[in-house]
Amino acid sequence: MKLLTITCEILAQQNVIDLLHKHSISGYTLYEVSGSGAKGIRGQGFQNEKNVKIEVVLQEEKLSDILEEIARTLFSDYAIITYVSDIGVIRMEKFS
Amino acid sequence: MDILELVQANILTPVVLFFIFGIVAARIKSDLKMPEAISEFLPIYLLAAIGLHGGLEMRKTGFESMLIPLFIAVGLSILMTLYHYQILRRLGKFNIFDSYALASTYGAVGAVTFSVGLSFLKNQGIASEGYITAILATLEPVAFIVAIFLTNMAVSKQTQIKKQTFAKSKDSTDDLDIIHTEQKTKLFQVLRESITGKAIVILLGSILIGYAIDTDGFAPIKIVFEDLFIGAIVIFLIEMGIIAGHRLDDIKKGGVFLIGFALAIPTINGIIGVLISTYLGLSIGGAVMYGLLFASASFIAAPAVLRHAIPQAKPSLYITSALGITFPYIIMILLPVMLILSTTFHNIESMNLSYFVENLK
Repeated sequence: MKLLTITCEILAQQNVIDLLHKHSISGYTLYEVSGSGAKGIRGQGFQNEKNVKIEVVLQEEKLSDILEEIARTLFSDYAIITYVSDIGVIRMEKFS
Repeated sequence: MDILELVQANILTPVVLFFIFGIVAARIKSDLKMPEAISEFLPIYLLAAIGLHGGLEMRKTGFESMLIPLFIAVGLSILMTLYHYQILRRLGKFNIFDSYALASTYGAVGAVTFSVGLSFLKNQGIASEGYITAILATLEPVAFIVAIFLTNMAVSKQTQIKKQTFAKSKDSTDDLDIIHTEQKTKLFQVLRESITGKAIVILLGSILIGYAIDTDGFAPIKIVFEDLFIGAIVIFLIEMGIIAGHRLDDIKKGGVFLIGFALAIPTINGIIGVLISTYLGLSIGGAVMYGLLFASASFIAAPAVLRHAIPQAKPSLYITSALGITFPYIIMILLPVMLILSTTFHNIESMNLSYFVENLK
C-alpha cells in the first residue's frame, strides 16, 4: 500500500479531490497547513491563500495514473508538492 | 471645498488612518493579526449591511428607476474588461492569461471598496440611491464571465492550431481533445460557482430581506447593521492594511507599467461612471457610488474565481495591484476627487437647466 501526500494551495484542493473521485478513490484526509516554499511564506493573509495537505491511502496499481494526471493538470499552474511513501495498513479490507 | 482640503480631510478619517496603520504594522514586522474567524466574518457582515441598506432604499425608490442604470452598468463592465485587455496585452506586453486575469480584476467590482465608499459618503452626510447595491450584486460575476469566456476561446483556438500541427500523429490529437473538453466544462462550473458564491448569495439575500422588512422591521437591528457599520469597516481595514503591507515588496516586481495601469484605469473608469450616472440623473452621492463600481478592482472575489478559471495567470500580479495600489489610491484620493467632480457636473447640469428655463420665459 502507498500513502500519497499532496500539499497544495487551497484553491487547488477541489481539483485534487475531483481527480481522486475520477479514479474512484473516495477516502482522504485533509488539513489546513502553513509553511514556506518557492512562493514564500504561505498560509497568511487571505483565506484563499492558505495551503492544504491531502493524504490518500491507495493501492499501488492506481498510483501511476493518478500521479500522471496530477502532474499533467496541476504542476504547471499551482503551488503543489507531491510525494509517495510506503506504508503498512491495518484492516486492508477498507482500501479494496 | 478645495480638492486638496477634501483629500486631506479624508485621509484623517479613522477608516483611512487605520488602513495606513495596518500597513505600518506589517512593515515593522509586528505580529499584529486579526483572528481568522473575524477576518472571515467581517466581509459577510459588511455585505449583509450593504444589502440591507440597499434593500431599504430600493423600497423608497422602486425598481423601475434602476433598470436603465443597471443595463448600462453591465454594458460598461463588459466594454471596460475588453479595453483593459487590449491595453495590457498590446501596451503592457503581458501574456494572454495575465492580461485577461488583470482585465477582469479591474472590470469587476470591489465590495470592500464599495463599503468604504458608503462610509465616506456617510461622513460627508450625502445620501446615494439604494439600487446601486443591486447593481453591485449584478456586476459581481459579469467581468469574470467575459474574461473566462474569452480565455477559453483563445485556448481552444490555440489547441486547434496545435491539432493541425500534430495532425499526423493520432494519439496527440486525442490528448488535445481531452484538454479542450476540460476547458469547456470549466466555464459552466465557474459560472455556477460565482453565482452561488457566498458574496452574491449574502448580498442578494439581504437586499431582499431589507426590501421586505422596511424601516419598521429594520429598527430593532439598526444598531448592528447601521450604527456599527463604519466601526466594522475600520476593523476590517486594519486586516487589509496588514495584508497590503506584507505585499508592498511585490509591487516592484509588477513593474512600472502595472503601477501606472493600477492608478490610471480606476481614475478613467471612475470619471466615466460619474459622468454617465450624472447624465442618467443620479444624485451627487449616487454618481460617486456608480463611478466607484467601475473604479474599484476586486481583490477578495477575484482570486477565488480566477485561480480556478485561469490558473495560468499569476495571482501575485492581480491581487497585489488591486489591493496594494488601487485600493489605497481609491480610498485616499479618488473618492474625494470623484465627489468634487460629481458636485461640479451636477452644478453644470442644473446651471444649464436654469439657463434653459430662463430662455423659455
